[in-house]
Amino acid sequence: MKKYWQIAKITFSETTAYRLNFVMWRVRVVLQLLTIYFLWQAILPRGAKILNYDHSQILTYILGTSLIWSFVMASRSQSIADEINSGSLSNFLIKPINYFSYHFFRDIGDKAMNILFTAVELTLMYFILKPPIFIQTDPTYLALALISIFAALCLHFFINFILGTIGFISPEIWAPRFIFFIVIGFFAGSYFPLDILPANIFAIFKFLPFTYLLYFPLKVYLGQLPLEETIVGIFTTFIWTAVFALIANLAWRKGLKLYTSWGK
Amino acid sequence: MLEFSKMDTISVKNLVKTYQVFKKEPGILGTFKSLVSRKYEKVKAVDDISFSIKEGELVGFIGPNGAGKTTTLKCLSGLLYPTSGEISVLNFKPWQRKRQFLTNISFVMGQKNQLWWDLPAIETFLLNKEIFEINDSQFKKTLGELVDLLDAKDILNIQVKRLSLGQRMKCELIAALIHLPKVLFLDEPTIGLDVVMQEKLREFVKSYNKNFHSTIILTSHYMEDVQNLAKRVIVINFGKIVFDGLLTELVKKKAPYKLISFMERNKDNFVKIKKLGKIIEQDFPKLTIRVSSKDSNRIASQILDNFTVEDLTIEEADIAEIIREVFEKSKK
Repeated sequence: MKKYWQIAKITFSETTAYRLNFVMWRVRVVLQLLTIYFLWQAILPRGAKILNYDHSQILTYILGTSLIWSFVMASRSQSIADEINSGSLSNFLIKPINYFSYHFFRDIGDKAMNILFTAVELTLMYFILKPPIFIQTDPTYLALALISIFAALCLHFFINFILGTIGFISPEIWAPRFIFFIVIGFFAGSYFPLDILPANIFAIFKFLPFTYLLYFPLKVYLGQLPLEETIVGIFTTFIWTAVFALIANLAWRKGLKLYTSWGK
Repeated sequence: MLEFSKMDTISVKNLVKTYQVFKKEPGILGTFKSLVSRKYEKVKAVDDISFSIKEGELVGFIGPNGAGKTTTLKCLSGLLYPTSGEISVLNFKPWQRKRQFLTNISFVMGQKNQLWWDLPAIETFLLNKEIFEINDSQFKKTLGELVDLLDAKDILNIQVKRLSLGQRMKCELIAALIHLPKVLFLDEPTIGLDVVMQEKLREFVKSYNKNFHSTIILTSHYMEDVQNLAKRVIVINFGKIVFDGLLTELVKKKAPYKLISFMERNKDNFVKIKKLGKIIEQDFPKLTIRVSSKDSNRIASQILDNFTVEDLTIEEADIAEIIREVFEKSKK
């Protein structure tokens, strides 16, 4: 276990290897949030309810999805396909190390840095801008939101890993990744809150894994789901995670037989 | 610890590895054709080879580009599944990649690095310490020894990408050996290095082999690497073993001749002498001829007695030359 913490630690320090790069990363994150904030602040009519959300709720939803997106989706494991195709995967295969765990803890290291700085930046922005957003104060909902975000993170990890294993059969995985992100954006609710859809369509969405990447954790945070539904949702996320973990494992085993360690 | 000394550390029986490659006709038409239907062809990278290596042996693997050296090493280290045949390394089947196996081998690829590019090399060493579960005191001891052997004390804390190729190779070796592997695969470790660094690395490999009694397979394009390091060589070409034995045997068998060089300032004599052997080099008054090994002494004294030559030397045939001939002969 210690080895994986070392991986998280070394990734953590890797993110700060280039100071300018690091600063630009943070500036980008902050700017992105600010742009979305000011845009929607200007567009949304004050006081009026839209799509059954009031002003501060919809603003929180939009900012929240963008924030969760940056935690859940931003991932080091995008390099899996590259590692397969460049042959640098060989470096891992000859070591007593689990490639899944390696990438998972690399993600943890990367995300820890991201979350740490985002927390500071958000606090600063909150006190400067005093935005009319919804702050959840109920510890139960906060805890459940954290669990569901962690579950979303695991789910995304395995989906991403499966996409990475396409590298075993194709040298180019940009297209499937791109398609996936477009689709996921829609199904996960990054364009609009999913519950504005007709009830029967939304019911189908609830069975899909993607809902649990963004929409669900945010709804939990907003405290808009009954406790029962929240628990069921978290379980669904973990079941989907297990399914994708299984597929990822299978793809990995199959892939290794095809692996030719090209690229010198 | 497991005991292997009585048995072969590495044994390979009838190993075959084929790759599937698809062939594309040139040009635009060929491009479209290849989208619709692809012709796949199986290429035998390694074609039915067998050999075994004992503990502590240092074996040179030589062959031209694409001969199958690297593929063999990849099969031995568990990176590739063999198409057929049996491999046993330290009594493990490499492709199963068992923990016990992986903690006892290492594979250094001259053209691929495991060091974390943006961080100092020491970070990679520390990571490997955890990966191989080496305790603090053992880690310190090994690191100290390796750093001394390679004279790398000053470069451990410098960002890897700022190191020169030679310095990086030193760090690569430390990272690869920090767990003191019993079996070490070195795939062209000296590639791209200058002569001084090559020499240093050779010295290092030699002493590592001696000090830690590890089994080493080395591939290289540089004959000097093999000549200096390995007593035994396995020559491989087109996926088949062409020769397996002592380097001196190879020389005796494939090149039973020596080279006699001298200066002869008399033009008439110069022409006469040429008939005594096969001319390798002539640049009046310098001449080098090739004669069979068993006749070399007789011919040399004949030259000394009958002509007025200066600076006569008898040399062994050049290894690189011999190898080249072996390759030429083993062409399909």
